[in-house]
Amino acid sequence: MSYMLNPGAQSESNIEVHRYYSGTVLLTAFLALVLQAFLHKYGRWSELVDLPLLVTVYFGLSRRNPVTGMFLGAAVGILQDALSHDNPIGLYGIAKTLVGYLASTIGARIDTQHPVSRLALIFLFFHFHQMVFAITQRVLLNHPEPFFTLRLLLNSVVTAAFGVALFALLDRLRKS
Amino acid sequence: MIDTAFRQRPVFLLAAVVLVQVLLLAFQIKRDHDVRLIRYWAQAIVMPFERGGTDAVKNTGGFWSNYISLRGARAENARLRAELDQLRLQNRELAAQAGEAQRLSAILNFREAHPEAQMLAAQVISASADPTSHTLVLNRGDHDHVRRNMAVITPDGIVGKIVEVLPTTSQVLLINDKDSGAGALLADTRTHGVIKGSGDPDARLDYVINEEPVHPGELVLTSGEDRIFPKDLLIGTVSMANQGNPFQVIHVKPAARLDRLEDVIILLTPQELKKQDSAGAPGASPNSLGIVQQESEPPKPLVAPATGKPAAPNAAQPAAKAPAAAPPATTPAQPANSAPQN
Repeated sequence: MSYMLNPGAQSESNIEVHRYYSGTVLLTAFLALVLQAFLHKYGRWSELVDLPLLVTVYFGLSRRNPVTGMFLGAAVGILQDALSHDNPIGLYGIAKTLVGYLASTIGARIDTQHPVSRLALIFLFFHFHQMVFAITQRVLLNHPEPFFTLRLLLNSVVTAAFGVALFALLDRLRKS
Repeated sequence: MIDTAFRQRPVFLLAAVVLVQVLLLAFQIKRDHDVRLIRYWAQAIVMPFERGGTDAVKNTGGFWSNYISLRGARAENARLRAELDQLRLQNRELAAQAGEAQRLSAILNFREAHPEAQMLAAQVISASADPTSHTLVLNRGDHDHVRRNMAVITPDGIVGKIVEVLPTTSQVLLINDKDSGAGALLADTRTHGVIKGSGDPDARLDYVINEEPVHPGELVLTSGEDRIFPKDLLIGTVSMANQGNPFQVIHVKPAARLDRLEDVIILLTPQELKKQDSAGAPGASPNSLGIVQQESEPPKPLVAPATGKPAAPNAAQPAAKAPAAAPPATTPAQPANSAPQN
């Protein structure tokens, strides 16, 4: 198994599909949502990291099944909307559905085990998620949600860095 | 299981999931006026079809009403036009009948108001072909006991006199004809003169001296001196009075509408008509039948132009009041036959 980001170097059939113990995916996603909501009470620093996004990206890249990644993203996003104070249901759901689908699709084509590639992918997925979220806000809610700010850039960097570490921890939950 | 089922179509599944969530959002989001976004969208999706359907129905209905239903419009229009023409004709006939009834009613009232006078109603059937001659032809003649020099009047005022009698018709010389003349007097001053035609629509009152005060609007009455027209019948009103030599030039507008006469009265006798009570108007004023009620005597005696002596204001002495230089007003009337009144 290569740890390098090497698109096209390996065929899709040669990319390993990781398996997890039963309930691991759901439990991890549930914990991410609970922690995100729980930590939010202790300050805005918790907004620096988007745990549900990290979980969606991780399992999307690992399972490498677009349908599974899509439904996981949809479920995580809808629950995140449900736990938020004033977000209508579906706002995060749409963004994370697309992120889950995209992550699974990319994960099925390239090897994403290397920390650098993971850092880059998390960074890119963060901004893709923000872009979809902003478009949805602008189109449906008429809210001028920004596509890019310095704070969003900081959040994306922190989330990416934290995600590399988190992904290493989650790798231990595989059946191998 | 689910993975297997949807593995072949993940993109479509993705679109479906996203669409479901978009709809979910639309159910929750409210836009202006607290209307849910899903309603906006539903309206936006449905309205074009509804509008198209409405337009289609409207256009179809318009086509039906504008073309198919109007197939009979031309015939209906022609029928309505014919009906309109007929109604206009009826309207004109009714208006003419109403006018005739009004005229006849006035004549009837006149006759009823003067039972002592023998009179005959007549209709104007033609006028003179000579534009310089002011004459009319009536539908009464010798068979109706009409004779020459009988007075022809209307309830508004005098018209003229019979100058020619045929078996069934007679000719009237109007008072504004240049050959016409009648004894007249000014109502306010009782100044006598002679009313003569000039060929114009207005007649002239001659032989009134310059010292006599005459003002436009003053009534001019018959004096009865010509023995044709009874006394105190209205002739007309003074339209213009100027100083002249030796007499004033006075124009009199006839009271009777000489240019549009249709029904007239022929007085079979020159008998003086009884005066009708007038409703309190000071001075002379014509009543509804053209008979002038004189409330007071003239303020000063008449002066004969030729002699300069005051003339007796006695209507029974017409010769004394008439100007000496004045020619006879009219041909002396022949004794009227006591013809029965028709």
